[in-house]
Amino acid sequence: MAQNILQLKKVSKSFAGTVVVGDLNLKVKGGEVFGLLGPNGAGKTTTMRMIMNIIRPDQGEILYNDQPRHKIKNLHFGYLPEERGLYPRATVLEMLVYFGTLNNLSARRAEVEAIRYLDRLGMVEFTDAQINQLSKGMQQKIQFIVAFLHDPDVLILDEPFSGLDPINQIVLREILQEYKQKKKILIISTHQMEQAEQLCDHICLINQSKVILDGQLSRIKKNYRENAFFVESDDSLEFMQEISGISIIEQDNNSCKFTVAEQRLKIPVLFENIQKKAGIKRFEIVEPSLHDIFIRLVQAETEGGK
Amino acid sequence: MKNIFRIARWEFVTRFRSRSFLFNTFISPLLFISVITLPIFFFQYQPEVSTKLIGVIDLSGKNIEKDLQKALNHYYSPENRSREYVVMKVSVNSSGPYREMLSEYKEIKSRRDSIARLYEQIKAQRAAYYKNTKIANREYFLRTSYEKLQNTREEKELTDMELENFKTSLDSVYKFEALKMADSLLITNVLNAYLLFPHEFTKNGIVEYHSKNPGDLRETERFEKILQNIIIEKRMMDDHVEQAKVHKWLSPIYIKKYQLMPQGQKEWDFYAQFYGPLIGVFLLFMAIFTAGGYLFSSILLEKSNRVIEVLLSYANSIQIMGGKILGLGSLGLVQVLIWLLLTALFISSGIIPADKISYLTLSNALYFIIYFSLGFLFYGAIFISVGSLSSNEYDAQQINQLLRTVAVFPVLLSLIVLAEPNSLWIRILSYIPFLTPSFMIMRIPLSSQLITTDIYVTIAIMVISILFVIFVAGRIFRVATLMQGKKASWTEIWRWLKVG
Ligand SMILES: Nc1ncnc2c1ncn2[C@@H]1O[C@H](COP(=O)(O)OP(=O)(O)O)[C@@H](O)[C@H]1O
Ligand SMILES: [Mg+2]
Repeated sequence: MAQNILQLKKVSKSFAGTVVVGDLNLKVKGGEVFGLLGPNGAGKTTTMRMIMNIIRPDQGEILYNDQPRHKIKNLHFGYLPEERGLYPRATVLEMLVYFGTLNNLSARRAEVEAIRYLDRLGMVEFTDAQINQLSKGMQQKIQFIVAFLHDPDVLILDEPFSGLDPINQIVLREILQEYKQKKKILIISTHQMEQAEQLCDHICLINQSKVILDGQLSRIKKNYRENAFFVESDDSLEFMQEISGISIIEQDNNSCKFTVAEQRLKIPVLFENIQKKAGIKRFEIVEPSLHDIFIRLVQAETEGGK
Repeated sequence: MKNIFRIARWEFVTRFRSRSFLFNTFISPLLFISVITLPIFFFQYQPEVSTKLIGVIDLSGKNIEKDLQKALNHYYSPENRSREYVVMKVSVNSSGPYREMLSEYKEIKSRRDSIARLYEQIKAQRAAYYKNTKIANREYFLRTSYEKLQNTREEKELTDMELENFKTSLDSVYKFEALKMADSLLITNVLNAYLLFPHEFTKNGIVEYHSKNPGDLRETERFEKILQNIIIEKRMMDDHVEQAKVHKWLSPIYIKKYQLMPQGQKEWDFYAQFYGPLIGVFLLFMAIFTAGGYLFSSILLEKSNRVIEVLLSYANSIQIMGGKILGLGSLGLVQVLIWLLLTALFISSGIIPADKISYLTLSNALYFIIYFSLGFLFYGAIFISVGSLSSNEYDAQQINQLLRTVAVFPVLLSLIVLAEPNSLWIRILSYIPFLTPSFMIMRIPLSSQLITTDIYVTIAIMVISILFVIFVAGRIFRVATLMQGKKASWTEIWRWLKVG
């Protein structure tokens, strides 16, 4: 079986003259969890809506297995919108069946699938309950079922972690695992870097409508690892700002996180320099978090822009 | 394509079960119909507001007031109402001058009567003398009694003349005093009017009608009609026509009113003709606005609870709009059919007399359904646009209120159709898509001929306008449903329409 591929080529979208997504290129492979990262307003939701064909890009094309998106039936796609929405007055089962049939499932098949999922999520006794009588956590589960009841080939989850309780997080992980094994396309968006770090295989960082980082998570981490260090002391570390050849990521009075910018600067020399001025309690290589990488890249970008 | 039907089914089923549909289908039409038909019953069973007191001054001495009262009772007092008119003879007995003259008159009259008696006595006596030839002194008696007779006759003629003269002046005093009395009663509003019958009114046919406003044509026409009858009757009696014949000749005449209709003539019944189509128009708009309101709230709710995004990801905007229009339109049709069925049931069980809604023929029912569908599509598309543009529940409530108010206008305006269903103005107005359904529903049963051209023209206009509003609604729907919080400005809306 050939690998599933979802591609965005030079996709742009603007609203009322403001560019929300600009020349976005993405390539998502089946079987990997693809994380679309970025702060609020970066254009993640807009991108996902374009993938879902809810809105059309102004320019560029979206291809799934080399076919243009708007020619592919919606039933191959499953979507968890950022803003969750269910019919408050409907009962759980009838609503799930409705959404299932909208994706070409027969009513019977939709019912069977819905009950299967409800059972799996421990909610089978609520099949005839009204949605607005359910707790928030249960409504979340229902919302998830709506996204993948019809077993889509492409699953798109917009901010799936927001407001998610720990139990549902486990459920989500399980399902993502399943989709991964089936080699399906999986895209999640988040503005919480830590979550992405735990879940994603591939990451695309967007800021102000532009991609600033795109690649395998493991590779990115390796790329940014070598030169990052963390130092802690009982004394003030203010002076570190004057050391040349390093760039500081984060700093407070007694600790400092930095990278070595200049290749020629040797770590033992640096260590000694610091020790001369303050007693080192801890000195270690840091595995940079995505958060750090993001901050650094954004800083570099804004400085480069100056 | 299948999704249209799936969405339609969902919309239909979820609404059909709702309590508001039950209410809109059964309770509110009932409320409306009772509100609109109550005045009819009120009108029919209310007693007359007031009884009118009519004075009579009769100089003819024919006891005319009795006949007048009888005739008035006959024409203007249906069995379940109190008498509309009460006739009262204007009495002058209390007036001093008349009483004086009356006693004098009586004195003269009794004098004349005694002379007349005397005269008769003498005549009888003389007749006896003539027959009895054996009486002594017969010649003498005959001669002297002749003189006596001559004298008495002369005296009798004189007193007759005196009486005649006195009678004339008594009459004029009577008339004068009666008029004075009647006028004061008129001024103090005791009498609504009074009639003066002159001495010889049957001959010259002149009766005076006195009232504060003799311009009240309804009243004067009534009296004219009634007096005509009374006087003619009197004249016939004077010519010694048999009583039975008089009654036969004077038996009243009624005009039955008929209206020319394409399917033949039928009797014109004001209430049925008027209220029937009006109730029809109202129900039409209720159906349109119930279904349209559901369309509106459905979009608005999905927009505010964000189901719209899930929907949009599984079905495109055309399917969603189409499905909603189809589903809720069918719901409205079901409502209309329920009403038609109930009406048919009521007619067949005799609760509603069939002749009261004879305008509801099969073809009119068909037109009703056609104009419902057209009206629903037209207003529905507008509802969709407004629904997708409004951003919150509160807005929606207000807009819904506004739309409901606006909906009253076509209903009210359609009242003007009643006067002249096919005048130029009405025709022009019925070409305006907003008014077409209500106007046509009024015009079709009220027109004496089938207005085929207008039906075709209005349907064509409706179809074109529907295509246009649906096109606009589609564009607005696609863009506006994803917008949140802020309201769209007019320039923005204009841009969506151009760009799509
Ligand atoms: N339908 C829309 N109309 C106008 N502006 C929009 C619309 N959707 C999103 N935006 C704007 O586009 C920008 C990006 O939004 P979004 O894609 O939701 O970002 P993210 O999901 O990364 O937080 C925001 O500034 C938002 O206001
Ligand atoms: Mg977002």
